[in-house]
Amino acid sequence: MRTSIKNGIRLGSIVGVVLIFFHLTGFSVVASSMLGNLLGNASRTANVTRLPIINLIIFITLLCIFAGGIASKNKEIDSWGNTLIPGAITGAFSGLLVAIFVYLIGIVYAQNIDLRNYLPEVGLPTINYLLFDGKKFASLLYFGLMTVGCIAGAAFFKSVIRADWRKKAQTTSVQTFKKFVKKSGIQKFIGNKITVYVFLAVAALLLYFLPTQWGPYWNYIMGTVGIYILLGLGLNIIVGLSGQLVLGYVAFFAIGAYAFGLMTALEPHAISMNFWLAIGFAILAAALTGILLGLPILNLRGDYLAIVTLGFGEIIRILIKSDMLTGFTNGPSGLNGLAQPRWLGNAFTDINFFHLIVIFVIVAIFIANRLQSSRTGRAWLAISADQTVAQATGINTFKYKLLALALGAAFAGLGGALFASRNQFTGPEDHILMVSINVLCLVIVGGMGSIPGVVVGAFVLKGVPELLRDLESYRLLAFGALLVVMMVMRPEGLWPKGRPALEALYYQKHPKDSPPDGEVQS
Amino acid sequence: MKIRHLLFVVIVFALALSACAPKASAPEACETDAFGCAVIPEGDTIKIGMGAPMLGDYGMFGIDISQGVEVALTQDDGFEGWSYELIAEDTGGAPEAGAAVANKMVTDPTVVAIAGHIFSGSTAAAMPIYEKAGFPMMSPSATLPELTEKGSAVFNRLAFTDATQAKFAAQLLFESLGVTKLGVMHDGTSYGQGLADGVAGFFTELGGEVVASEAITPGEVDYIAPLSSIAAKGPEAIYYGGYAAEAIVMANQWEQAGLAGVTLFGCDGTYGVEFTDKAGPNAEGSIAVSLVPPASPEKDAFDEAYRTAYGMEAGELSAFSWSAYDTGAVLIAAIEKVAIVGDDGSLYVPRGAVVDAVRNTDYEGLTGLVKCDDTGECNASGPTFYIVENGEWVPYIP
Amino acid sequence: MSEQKTTREQSSLNVSKLIRWIAGILLLALVGWRVYQTAFIEGGYGPDTWMRFIIAGLVIGGMYSLIAIGYTLVYGILFMINFAHGEVMMLGAFGGYFMFELFAFIKAPTASDPNMNFLNAYPLVSVLLAFIVGAVISATAGFLLERIAYRPLRKAPRLVPLISAIGASIFLQNAAQLLFGPQRRQYINPDVLWRGTGWSIPVGDTTVLLTYTGTLSLVLSALLMIGLFYIVQKTKLGRSMRAVAENKQAAALMGIDVDAVIGKTFIISGILAGSAGVMWGIHNGLFNHYVGFLPGIKAFTAAVLGGIGNIPGAMMGGMLLGILESVGPAALGLDFQLKDVIAFSILILVLIFRPSGLLGEALSEEKV
Repeated sequence: MRTSIKNGIRLGSIVGVVLIFFHLTGFSVVASSMLGNLLGNASRTANVTRLPIINLIIFITLLCIFAGGIASKNKEIDSWGNTLIPGAITGAFSGLLVAIFVYLIGIVYAQNIDLRNYLPEVGLPTINYLLFDGKKFASLLYFGLMTVGCIAGAAFFKSVIRADWRKKAQTTSVQTFKKFVKKSGIQKFIGNKITVYVFLAVAALLLYFLPTQWGPYWNYIMGTVGIYILLGLGLNIIVGLSGQLVLGYVAFFAIGAYAFGLMTALEPHAISMNFWLAIGFAILAAALTGILLGLPILNLRGDYLAIVTLGFGEIIRILIKSDMLTGFTNGPSGLNGLAQPRWLGNAFTDINFFHLIVIFVIVAIFIANRLQSSRTGRAWLAISADQTVAQATGINTFKYKLLALALGAAFAGLGGALFASRNQFTGPEDHILMVSINVLCLVIVGGMGSIPGVVVGAFVLKGVPELLRDLESYRLLAFGALLVVMMVMRPEGLWPKGRPALEALYYQKHPKDSPPDGEVQS
Repeated sequence: MKIRHLLFVVIVFALALSACAPKASAPEACETDAFGCAVIPEGDTIKIGMGAPMLGDYGMFGIDISQGVEVALTQDDGFEGWSYELIAEDTGGAPEAGAAVANKMVTDPTVVAIAGHIFSGSTAAAMPIYEKAGFPMMSPSATLPELTEKGSAVFNRLAFTDATQAKFAAQLLFESLGVTKLGVMHDGTSYGQGLADGVAGFFTELGGEVVASEAITPGEVDYIAPLSSIAAKGPEAIYYGGYAAEAIVMANQWEQAGLAGVTLFGCDGTYGVEFTDKAGPNAEGSIAVSLVPPASPEKDAFDEAYRTAYGMEAGELSAFSWSAYDTGAVLIAAIEKVAIVGDDGSLYVPRGAVVDAVRNTDYEGLTGLVKCDDTGECNASGPTFYIVENGEWVPYIP
Repeated sequence: MSEQKTTREQSSLNVSKLIRWIAGILLLALVGWRVYQTAFIEGGYGPDTWMRFIIAGLVIGGMYSLIAIGYTLVYGILFMINFAHGEVMMLGAFGGYFMFELFAFIKAPTASDPNMNFLNAYPLVSVLLAFIVGAVISATAGFLLERIAYRPLRKAPRLVPLISAIGASIFLQNAAQLLFGPQRRQYINPDVLWRGTGWSIPVGDTTVLLTYTGTLSLVLSALLMIGLFYIVQKTKLGRSMRAVAENKQAAALMGIDVDAVIGKTFIISGILAGSAGVMWGIHNGLFNHYVGFLPGIKAFTAAVLGGIGNIPGAMMGGMLLGILESVGPAALGLDFQLKDVIAFSILILVLIFRPSGLLGEALSEEKV
């Protein structure tokens, strides 16, 4: 009982702080207007003075219901007492915190103090709205609303979500589904090679026809996702497969983009190389840079390697932008009018460019997959597991690490050249540190060392934020929170790397040797 | 392949698909127009795009200019039931973001014209993209000379060029202020560097000597080292090509670097209330450039409307509030000249026609006569110089 | 090094070592020649300008040291790059800002000046309180950060807490932006400690200014470093921290509450970050939600330069980095735009020739 009270207080304080945060950052107002759009009683862009109060009440209630549901989760005895009391405690404590906050802003409102200098989202009309249209006893209302909301949420979760009848319904429906699958003979299709080919064919058809249907905006976004898949595959080889932490991946991206750009832009050097040759040149330039960078620094310890590569990325960007080299790189103005792909004399449309990106991605996935299952991939796996032991078994760690770096750099170079060509422009600010960080996040969120993981990671980290365009200012906030939550809840990634076949077979035969649950290779 | 992986991929794909916008209906054949038509369905707004720094250190420019354009758009009654809307996207002033915003704007069939971009580097990167798609541009503030030297059909501007500004600045320095030894600094952007090089060139032509030249990195908090380096060469004034954010930091460290008594001569980017506010007493005697139009009843009306809508004075945040208003008005006039209401109730705006209409503008605005020559220069009014006296910007009379 | 090598690898290692030494000597010769050229042949700067460069470098270095000490402490104990350290510093800066605003708002009329505010009437108390509040806010933030984002990941591979730290960093930056707005804010210092005031040192026929705030930052970073060194080396808590750094499991077996020790480590690191944030605000004046990002990276560089995990090393690395940034371009005759290039190049070179940093690692001998 005592633990449930403690848990209730802890959860209550979290909910209270979260709601205060939402109020202070204006998110409550945004949520109310979104609800208004949904319910039809307010437009999305309405001024706060015209938002109905009921939306705010609904928003707070929803939050409390959810909180109450979490609060009432009790593994031991799922009685009504054990459900409602933690819910009540959570509600009361969070209500208390928020009531104090509301009381304080009520004072601010009464004194007509304009806090917008310090808290720009909390102007007087907003405070008026948050006080349920300036009610003097708003804090009591909040307290009551949140307590009741959490209790209701606890009750709701117990009676509906966690109810026995629901669990039974779930298991029976799953069982029925399984039986159906077995009976109708679909079972033998799953995992079958033919299914895989059919699936691939369908995917290919989709990729071919979708771009014509989804408009130029989504074409652009999906193209960006594709380029980031390329980048992710490259970084995956370096970080995921051979275990070297590189924080300056954007350097190779920049080399690829600028190698392509300098060869094809009209100024500063009017070389006007053919698109395809320039792409090849970009890949080679990036790979060469990878080798040259790797030679002196590959023997550095993990975190030192990270900061050195980060420094290298910054060096490249600053040099590109500098006064000194403006004659060579065109400095901060960037490179304009880059070559567009042509095939048999016809220029590529946006859709064709997307298909080009898809083709490159497929080729890259193929290369990465083959490498992963090859002897080289084994060597990388050994190096990332334990470098000393790998050396002891006779692997030339230096050679393989350098190879990983060069390949990763080559992928980045290709990505950079495609990115520059598609934008018809590239400049030094395209190659900032955040790009390296974004690619690293997508590799790890997707699943380190896993190729499907990279694809999923690119979609989630580049595609999904586009869906949230409306919540523009809150996008990055959600992104940061998502990273933390993902790592805490699922550190192995969204689609983790499976065990290599031989290893799985060994553990099948010797189950006593298998590593304990939850332990992931480093 | 495991079934759950399969399900996962299908779900992700479905999510991605479900979020896609529904298929846009094919526009009517605006066959005669090389760039097709912008289509605005009934109930939607005619959109004018803008790429400006809306956040961060340079946000004052984007905010001020977007507000000026908004005043023009909201004051207008609309066209046959369609009202105007400004879509201002943040670029941070960077060329790369300018290209990204441009790529995004050209995919929107309801965007008809672009009021921008605001920063020169961002405009240069965006121009070829708008050129290819047939979107007319009218910039109130992009001052880089090269922008109109590339022979673009879509780009026009209301602002004076940096070449003009640099010439006047050099003249002021040499003739009025009697400076013979000049130090030149810039922030590494194409705008700042262009101005600094321009001033250095004109100044040398007039007979002065440029004793030192330094570039700084924007966004830092300590510029004592580069400032000391220039101080060592003994300049009588320092010309700075760049924005107020860095000028503030430099002004606050002026004396520490040994530059006491040396004038800080800035440009249209250093002007604004931000500079006098944050540099305090260190701002006294600094010079910058603005574009305040002569007094007129229209100007007073605009000032009143701006004040009522936004609670601040026009021209406080940046020098371009009035140019922004003229930009909005010019674009509206051009659009209304060529827009056609279609039979299906949608509004059709032939893009090539709007481009020509903007280039052929003949409009008497707040900042003077807006009439474009064939390179896209549309305003002959020159820069006005301002000096900080008692913490306020006042016109500088030599 | 405890690894066995084959003869072939041994010889190839010798060759690469030889190449390194030759390259190093050539590089040193090149740099020396260039410095000689700039300083003596090309006219050079007067002694007052060099003084200004050096003072600016020391002050910037003091700032970096303040932040680097906190970074290196967490790394030394947990082998974790705390990417969110810069944001913890930023929160401290905001805390100090609000305290100064509050003190400037409270009136404390005296006989001589009826408009005096609390800030100028009691500057010492105000500054002290501001530091304390900033440090407390940062310490709380550091503690919560550890509980929420790092503790669940203690057993995970090294990269996972790094991503979590990056996520926390992005979250805190944007939370601050949403709460307080993106515009830059300026610290109101008490008049006695106003930015740009200080001692005028006569050099040659001009004077060079050594600011009060700059000196304060140097003194503060030295004091904090000494304090931290004392805690780590001489107190029971410090012993526990070193034990946890050496081997978590053994420390737990010896009866050390590992969770509590790590929590306390983050609190101390937070205090350091908070003080750095308030000092940053006092000295530099302008700040916004983004103020922690770049200095965080520079501080990480400084910590690595001095040998990460080594507290005096962090101080030295910070000072060295500051001086390299200010004096480097002048001495080498390069643009000041390239100061980061110089700094990072020096870092790369130092690590090539001395892979564990200038002072090596001292907190624990364990290698990863």
